[in-house]
Amino acid sequence: MNIENTASQMRKGVLEFCILSVIKSGEAYPSEIIDMMKEANLNILEGTLYPLLTRLKNAELLTYRWAESTGGPPRKYFSLTEKGLTFYKELEATWNELSNAVTTITHKNR
Amino acid sequence: MKKVININFQGTVVPIEESAYDLLRQYIDSLRVYFAEEEGKDEIINDIESRISELFQERLKNGATCITDEDVNAIINNMGRPNDFAEAENAADDSNSKTKGSGSTNQFNWQSYSGRLTRDENNKILGGVCSGIADYLRIDPWIVRILFIISGVGFLAYLILWIFLPSNYSIQTGINKRLYRNPDDRMIAGVCGGIGSYFNVNSWVPRIIFLLPFLSFLFGHGARWIFYPSFTHITLVPSGVLIYIILWIVIPEAKTTSEKLQMKGEKVDLDSIKESVSREMKGVSERMHQMGKNAGQFFKDNGPHMRNEVHQSYRNAGGALGRVITTLVKIFVYIVLGAIAFAILAVVFSLAVVAIGIFPLKDFIVADGWQNALAWLTLIFFIGVPVVGIITFLIRLITRRRSGNNYYRNIGIGLWIFGWICFFALLSFVGRDFKYTSTVQEYSIPLDNPSVNYMQITPIQKPDYRWRSWLTFEPYSTFNITDDTALVPNIRLNIFKSPDTTFSVKYFTVSNGYSKKEADELASKVVYTGYQKDSTFFLSNEITINTHDKFRNQYVEVSIYVPLNHRIKIDNSFLSWGRSQFFVFSKYTPSYDSYSDGYDYQKGVEYIMREDGLNAVNSANSSNLSDSEKKYKYPSPDKVDSLKNDQEKQIQKMQESIDSAKKANKKALKQLQDSLLKQREDINKKLEDLGRKQVSAIHLPEMPSPGVVSPAFFGSI
Repeated sequence: MNIENTASQMRKGVLEFCILSVIKSGEAYPSEIIDMMKEANLNILEGTLYPLLTRLKNAELLTYRWAESTGGPPRKYFSLTEKGLTFYKELEATWNELSNAVTTITHKNR
Repeated sequence: MKKVININFQGTVVPIEESAYDLLRQYIDSLRVYFAEEEGKDEIINDIESRISELFQERLKNGATCITDEDVNAIINNMGRPNDFAEAENAADDSNSKTKGSGSTNQFNWQSYSGRLTRDENNKILGGVCSGIADYLRIDPWIVRILFIISGVGFLAYLILWIFLPSNYSIQTGINKRLYRNPDDRMIAGVCGGIGSYFNVNSWVPRIIFLLPFLSFLFGHGARWIFYPSFTHITLVPSGVLIYIILWIVIPEAKTTSEKLQMKGEKVDLDSIKESVSREMKGVSERMHQMGKNAGQFFKDNGPHMRNEVHQSYRNAGGALGRVITTLVKIFVYIVLGAIAFAILAVVFSLAVVAIGIFPLKDFIVADGWQNALAWLTLIFFIGVPVVGIITFLIRLITRRRSGNNYYRNIGIGLWIFGWICFFALLSFVGRDFKYTSTVQEYSIPLDNPSVNYMQITPIQKPDYRWRSWLTFEPYSTFNITDDTALVPNIRLNIFKSPDTTFSVKYFTVSNGYSKKEADELASKVVYTGYQKDSTFFLSNEITINTHDKFRNQYVEVSIYVPLNHRIKIDNSFLSWGRSQFFVFSKYTPSYDSYSDGYDYQKGVEYIMREDGLNAVNSANSSNLSDSEKKYKYPSPDKVDSLKNDQEKQIQKMQESIDSAKKANKKALKQLQDSLLKQREDINKKLEDLGRKQVSAIHLPEMPSPGVVSPAFFGSI
């Protein structure tokens, strides 16, 4: 059993939830999302974020608009769709359940 | 000094170093391949490109004049490489990769062309041929692998397919691959695991190579000839261990993820080696002119072949035929270069081994003064320089530092040439000392009691117990060295038929030398002794040579004359260091051109001298004898035939006598029967007569039966 593997699986599982959560709090462009995750100490490779965003967009959970940036290429600002919001809420409920369950279990057995 | 170019990247002009641009382009190409099957791949690439562009702008704004290799590498590290994505994908739940079609077990089968036969680089053990075929046929790779192993032509077919099949891994990620010890795939220190991932082969391939000398031990003495001649075999085992330990010390362990990625990094497979060889070849001819015809050049040049070079895919190489031809040429060049390098390496290595093995004997061979100096120079320059060179080369290879300075290399080559000169000078000097052969000087050893029936040849001293372990160098076990004397078993034993009825022992000595006179002198100085004690004859096992007289191939040949019908046995410990060293002649006088039958005779077996030569004597432990010995115990075929005839005759005679005896028996039986019948008739007649007389005289009680009435009955009346 590889610790790296298990840990990255755990992280992977909550990644979409985190992305949606960041975007829910307001329009965001990818490097912002990365920065916020880094701040929260959730390290992911930037390269994995883009395909994920595209997938979420293709699943019509996200939508985006182009915005000019100062001295750089235009940026994609992502925001949640209606569908994305319900998806997020479901995920949030699941996460809370899961989080509670995990906390209870790990604390009990400590 | 680097060339800077301007590129239009995502709508902005970016000044970038050319090498950095290459890195960037390769990276984006690799992403393109990775996301090839992804829905909306252009969008993803575009997003990533614009992000990179953003980061470039940031750097330029901060005062950088252009984008460098480091910048690009830092960005790539941040972004992650396809390998990293694949790892993440692999770890992730399937729901994340709905759109990815690969359901197979291998990590990133992102380019498995349906209906195209390729080598599968992602699920390979050696070249990915089996796995590619399996993919094509949609069966388990192990089935194909086992079929390849079982079928005899498997290896050749595999090589051909390896050459001809294109690899499905056509894009390199541009990471510089480095050699690390692999902590995740290790048996001892992860050296083989690291080497395996460096060359992208199964880690058991380097392991088996390291284990080969040990394996040859496991398969016993017979098998070692398959792998190496015994001499190298014995020295390869410790050197394998040594190399492993050196690698263990020199190669760092891959601890962080980035190190692990670097370890797996770019592929150094046949393709990239082929590629780098073709590049090297351009330089070789120039350098050959420059450096002259020194073989060491090849050796040095071979380093870059192993070095990591950016691999160009064959996708754009034009027609398939052209690709095949260029591939073949490259492979041919590679094989030739590799063979030359390997041969030189092997020669130097074995010379080093021989030199180290023989060096303690130096004082016994090499004369003082010039020769001694030459011997030392040879050791230092002829053996030492290449060994140091190899070690430096290995360290450079591992630390990935190019040899920027030709100065040391030229000095090294010069010193090595000097070493060669010393070596040949030494050879010719020493060879000259062996030039002349002495006349044969014959002596005889007196016997106390030459008329014994049986003689056993035993060495004077039981040889010391010598280590025969795998650390022993063979010269040491052949030459028994103390401080100033060496014992050389340069002895041969002959057995002849004695012209008279007594045993006799003779020996002659021969030696080589600088001159005929010196050779004669050395031959006469050879001390060789033997004495008889009852039926045991003690003989020296070795010739003694001291540092003053030197070893000049002094040689003793002992001849033992065995009289007819006398027995002889050579003790197992006599001349026990090598093969059977005794030879048998059936003639009275030696003829040295025909002693081939000597190998049929063995030590520890008692032989008897007959008219036709030595015959093994029947002994109680005859069942222990081998076939070749048994054949001396049984009579020759014509003898067998005559014996057979005799036996048949005897059997016939016995048969006849049995027959006649049978006839006689029958006759006697018949006679007996006849006489009995006659008697019976007579008795019956008499009884009838009696009966009639009695009936007429008295009335007697009725008789039970006339036949059983005995005469006594009548007497009792």
